[in-house]
Amino acid sequence: MTATVSAPPESPSVGAAPPRRARRGRGGLLIGGLSVALVVMTIVSAGRGQLQIPPSEVVGSILHRLDANLEWVLRQAGVSVDLPLDAGPRPAHVQGENTLWLVRFPRVVLALLVGAALAAAGALMQGVFGNPLAEPAVVGVSPGAAVGASLVFVTGANFLGEWTVAVAAFATGLVTTLLVYALSRSGGRTEVVTLVLTGVAVTAVAFAIVAFATFVATPEAREQIVFWQLGSLNGARWQAVVAVLPFVAAGLALAIAMARSLDLLALGERSARHLGVRVERLRLVAIVAVAMLVGSGVAFAGVIGFVGLVVPHLVRMIAGPGHRVLLPASALGGALLLVSADLVARTAIEYADLPLGMLTALVGGPLFFWLLRRTRTSQGGWA
Amino acid sequence: MRLTRAHRLPEPPVAGSVVTAAAGVSVTLGGTRVLDDVSIEVRAGEVLALVGPNGAGKSTLLSALTGDVAVSSGSVTLCGRPLSAWSATEAAMRRAVLLQQVRLSFPFTVAEVVWMGRAPWAGTPLEAADEEAVRAAAADADVAQFAGRRFTSLSGGEQARVALARVLAQRTGVLLLDEPTAALDLRHQELVLGVARSRAAAGVAVVVVLHDLNLAAAHADRVAVLAGGRVVATGTPAEVLGGDLLSDVYEHDVEVIAHPRTGTPVILPRR
Repeated sequence: MTATVSAPPESPSVGAAPPRRARRGRGGLLIGGLSVALVVMTIVSAGRGQLQIPPSEVVGSILHRLDANLEWVLRQAGVSVDLPLDAGPRPAHVQGENTLWLVRFPRVVLALLVGAALAAAGALMQGVFGNPLAEPAVVGVSPGAAVGASLVFVTGANFLGEWTVAVAAFATGLVTTLLVYALSRSGGRTEVVTLVLTGVAVTAVAFAIVAFATFVATPEAREQIVFWQLGSLNGARWQAVVAVLPFVAAGLALAIAMARSLDLLALGERSARHLGVRVERLRLVAIVAVAMLVGSGVAFAGVIGFVGLVVPHLVRMIAGPGHRVLLPASALGGALLLVSADLVARTAIEYADLPLGMLTALVGGPLFFWLLRRTRTSQGGWA
Repeated sequence: MRLTRAHRLPEPPVAGSVVTAAAGVSVTLGGTRVLDDVSIEVRAGEVLALVGPNGAGKSTLLSALTGDVAVSSGSVTLCGRPLSAWSATEAAMRRAVLLQQVRLSFPFTVAEVVWMGRAPWAGTPLEAADEEAVRAAAADADVAQFAGRRFTSLSGGEQARVALARVLAQRTGVLLLDEPTAALDLRHQELVLGVARSRAAAGVAVVVVLHDLNLAAAHADRVAVLAGGRVVATGTPAEVLGGDLLSDVYEHDVEVIAHPRTGTPVILPRR
């Protein structure tokens, strides 16, 4: 932290220590720490599995590829140099390179993207609705996306090739969220209890549609639906990464652009408007961003719960509720969590791939309960 | 979200000029006419108190002035233009609003809440005054001593003062305060209305909704009495706060005596 605090420590003055900078110091540490942990975890995770590859060889493999690709790019530009990046050992095993680049890396990168998307979407949702319990699943994004995905599996629709499931899940997720939002508004206000209850009602209908789809499906499609709902990154390929990446990048960019307005929204809709926030537009953009983040992630990874609830909550406990730190830190934390969870999912039991959604809920449920208790005792209840 | 489009910055106030006004404003909420043909002008440099019994339409009039409720007839102006001619940020550069109910969804610190008042000025030359404005506002509202505490851990009266500090930090030409003294002890009631008066002396137009008629009599330059959605009287406290009018409006026998030392009207219910 830079020395921005000019007042003596025993009498903290409001003006002397701008909270933006003070918080940025702590938030910066958190973001830095999470980034380092994420890089380490990604490398470790990529090396683990039936074929064990030491982290040094994983790094070596990445560096050699990077070196070769950069030199190729430079050659196309007419520059012929030998970059010194190709350091470190390459995977010793014959299948090492293929395992890393065809199986492990796409799966780890997808876990990273989906985790970041889910956690950021959770933070965004909580900010927009001014409630720490809002979660994409609560307001129907995930169940809505499940409707689209299961209908695609049942009908065998393939109108957009690789992108069909993602586009269908995204579209139905967005429609469901907008529906919940529209239904829970009255007199220009959104009451949180109404919102949650509307989410429950819409989710029930969504699950009924998914149940019907499961009922009429062929055994093969039925299996796809069931496993999709359990949540898994099994069989992730680079195409999935390419399909998810633009949605997640755009969703995160939108979310971070709204950070300051989301802080003001904590004062309530009217006070936020009195400070210059266009609340209705903000909510609409936020909902589109949430649908992009969750819809695209859920489309390839299935329903993965609690990431959007637990991660922002933990970040708030460490770095405070300011969204300029909360959103990027949640994205990093979510990525770290899901890369770790996926490592457990595919290595805990040999020759078995545990459902990822099951794992996150199994850990996330009790953890969230503990967080609730802790917050209650330390803050004297919810604001 | 903030567009990078340039906002029209406010002009410095001209003492005595009308900065915000409602002209023939009627508001209907849920089929009930809450405001009926209300006209009111607020001038730079004055404290205007809105008083009246519960349900008289004081808060609704304030909401009409902020644009929070749609008027069914009449017009509201801010700094010489219709309210709708300003963007949300431009309006926020001109008027700050303290609502009756103060809330915060997440446990921000007191300092962070006060800093939120500077949001409209982000990206303008006035951003340079941020730190000074926040420090002065925190001192004026007497909240500097708990700058680092979480807003949610404060008492109701402390929260109300933090909200006031946020509004003061916004440094606008118009201040609309809805019952700023409701949750406060005697010392802080005087302190808050003292701040309102010193802001008015610096050229700000202050509208303050008050329930305590003695506070209105002591601190307001002008008082507007509302009853049944209409303005029944406007003028200096001595002109307006008479026993007959107040007894009529409040449906309770009220007597008004002049303070033996200051001569300020003192309003007492006859018991």
